[in-house]
Amino acid sequence: MATNNDSVAMGAPVAAPQESFWARNRHYLLLAPGVVWMVLFLVVPLLMMVYVSFWTQTTFAISSDLTIKSWQTFFASETYFGALLRTLRIWLTVLFFTFLIGYPTALFIGQFVRNKTLQTVLLVACVIPFWTSFLIRVLAWRPMLGKEGAVNIVLQGLGIIDQPIEVLLFTELSVIIGMVQIYVVFMVGPIAFMLARIDHSLIEAARDLGASAWTIFRTIIFPLSLPGVVVGAIFVSVMVLGEFATASALSGRKVNLLGNIIVTQVGSLKWAFAAVVGVILTAVMAVVITALLRVVNLRKEL
Amino acid sequence: MMELIGLSKSFDSKPAIVDLSLRVEDDEYLTLLGPSGSGKSTLLRVLAGLERPEAGRIMLGDQDITARPTHLRGLGIVQQNYALFPHMTVEENVGFGLAHRAQDPVTDTAEVARRVAQTLELVGLLGLERRMVGQISGGQKQRVSLARTLITEPKVCLLDEPLGALDANLRERMTVELRKIRKALGVTFFHVTGNESEAIAMGDRMIVLDEGRAIQIAEPDTVFDAPATVRVARFLNAYNLLRGSVQGGTFESGEVRMPVPSGAQSLSCAAVRYDAVRVLRSGAEAEAGAPALHATFVASEFMGSKVVYFFRMADGGMFEVERHLSSSDPETYGEGEHVTLSWRMQDVLFFDANGDLIELAQAKGAA
Repeated sequence: MATNNDSVAMGAPVAAPQESFWARNRHYLLLAPGVVWMVLFLVVPLLMMVYVSFWTQTTFAISSDLTIKSWQTFFASETYFGALLRTLRIWLTVLFFTFLIGYPTALFIGQFVRNKTLQTVLLVACVIPFWTSFLIRVLAWRPMLGKEGAVNIVLQGLGIIDQPIEVLLFTELSVIIGMVQIYVVFMVGPIAFMLARIDHSLIEAARDLGASAWTIFRTIIFPLSLPGVVVGAIFVSVMVLGEFATASALSGRKVNLLGNIIVTQVGSLKWAFAAVVGVILTAVMAVVITALLRVVNLRKEL
Repeated sequence: MMELIGLSKSFDSKPAIVDLSLRVEDDEYLTLLGPSGSGKSTLLRVLAGLERPEAGRIMLGDQDITARPTHLRGLGIVQQNYALFPHMTVEENVGFGLAHRAQDPVTDTAEVARRVAQTLELVGLLGLERRMVGQISGGQKQRVSLARTLITEPKVCLLDEPLGALDANLRERMTVELRKIRKALGVTFFHVTGNESEAIAMGDRMIVLDEGRAIQIAEPDTVFDAPATVRVARFLNAYNLLRGSVQGGTFESGEVRMPVPSGAQSLSCAAVRYDAVRVLRSGAEAEAGAPALHATFVASEFMGSKVVYFFRMADGGMFEVERHLSSSDPETYGEGEHVTLSWRMQDVLFFDANGDLIELAQAKGAA
């Protein structure tokens, strides 16, 4: 038996029997459900949206004659172009504050809590607000921030202010406060995950080589957590850029984001114009995500 | 010179280091042999300042560094898993200490680059400067880790099982290399290992650590020829240990009878080196007066320059015999063959009731 096998192995290479095209490629079938789903409900609607944005919109009707009028209206109008700028401004502000609040929290959970169980418990604690509905979480800010809300009552009670602070509710500030509270956890999670993965012996080695705590943070801990920051930033960006509910609930419809414009335009059946805003929003997100992915090569780091 | 005075450390009231005192000289290669769990890694971590001792002091020169934070100690530790910074190149890893240390960092990048090149040359890694540490082999990682520590010119370089993760071939080469590098720099190496041959081959002096205590500190040949306790003899993996007791002026262990050395009160154990034993086939007689025991052959292992034979004694214990092929040809025994094992009295070490070696008046012949 053994010699028989040997002689086969030693002999001239035998051409492997050619598998049929079907046999070689059938694993691609696994992709079929996903591809069908994405084509039907993502690619086709996206192309449709771009197409519709060039349709002709009149007050009561819409026709498929191509025109760039809707696009011109968007960039010429103070209201609409201003909404784009406001969306970008609020997005950057929320991103900044979620990072400012999220990173130290993640640093504590990921680096200073050595017990894995406790780490998980703390991360789950961050998600507790999600046990209530989105709407309740947003609306709960009204009794907090209102003119006769909790914050004002407490501050007045303590004698810190005489007059209630009115800027707290139905302003851009309240929108930002609401969004930061809702989305900060999406920043904490990925960063804490990356921080917890850092091998503690690296930090010990750096200390042993003479580096101070701040230097170790700057040169070892922060660079190694950067993929987490990027993933967190992508989560927050995608959600904030498309936001409309927080803005309409906490700004008293004074702060209009791109999302709010889409909602009103669709509500008044202005499909072509809603499509323009949709295309712009999609383009902005694509640019933002691409830029963030440039910061770190996620494929290499994760 | 570094001196440890009465150092103790325990984890959850389980002692890891117990009242350890030790002098580490300048410019020496000191090895520390300890089985796993003997507290050897803990000792290094205490020295490096990564753990706080509960009692005792660490003196570096004339300064007490017991409470000094790690990054101000001037000791370097090469960790077992190398702990290289994965997001940096070889060059950045090696230069890290110089460029980023809190005390008198080197800010001139050209100077850092020059010294990095110098150190990489010393450890034989020139040409790999720009590689990421994920793209180099295990042996190269080990050298990067060593270079990264050596470049900061530590007063003592602590090595935690530096050869542990290398394959046998590479390990042999690094053994020579480590001694060469140390000599070139004149820095003290404190090398911790669980491998007895590594500890013996590399150290100018060696320490045997057991359950947190230093049970012998001596030159390797002294440790090998005269292990201070039974446990040291066992760690050396070169002695057959015969447990027994004194009965009417004779040391008895199973069927073995040996005269009690003069001056010894009580004995608990005798040790015979693997290579000091003669194997006699049935029929051959042991020399008159020489201790002997009957055993059956179990297996042998050919190891290139030597053969190790395993025999089973009447009480079920194993007895090992080593034959160096430079001095004799290998013998073959059949499985279960009955043989007589015999040795000379001057090759026997005796240990008293506490397990301590009994120093004999007579000079020991080289076995």
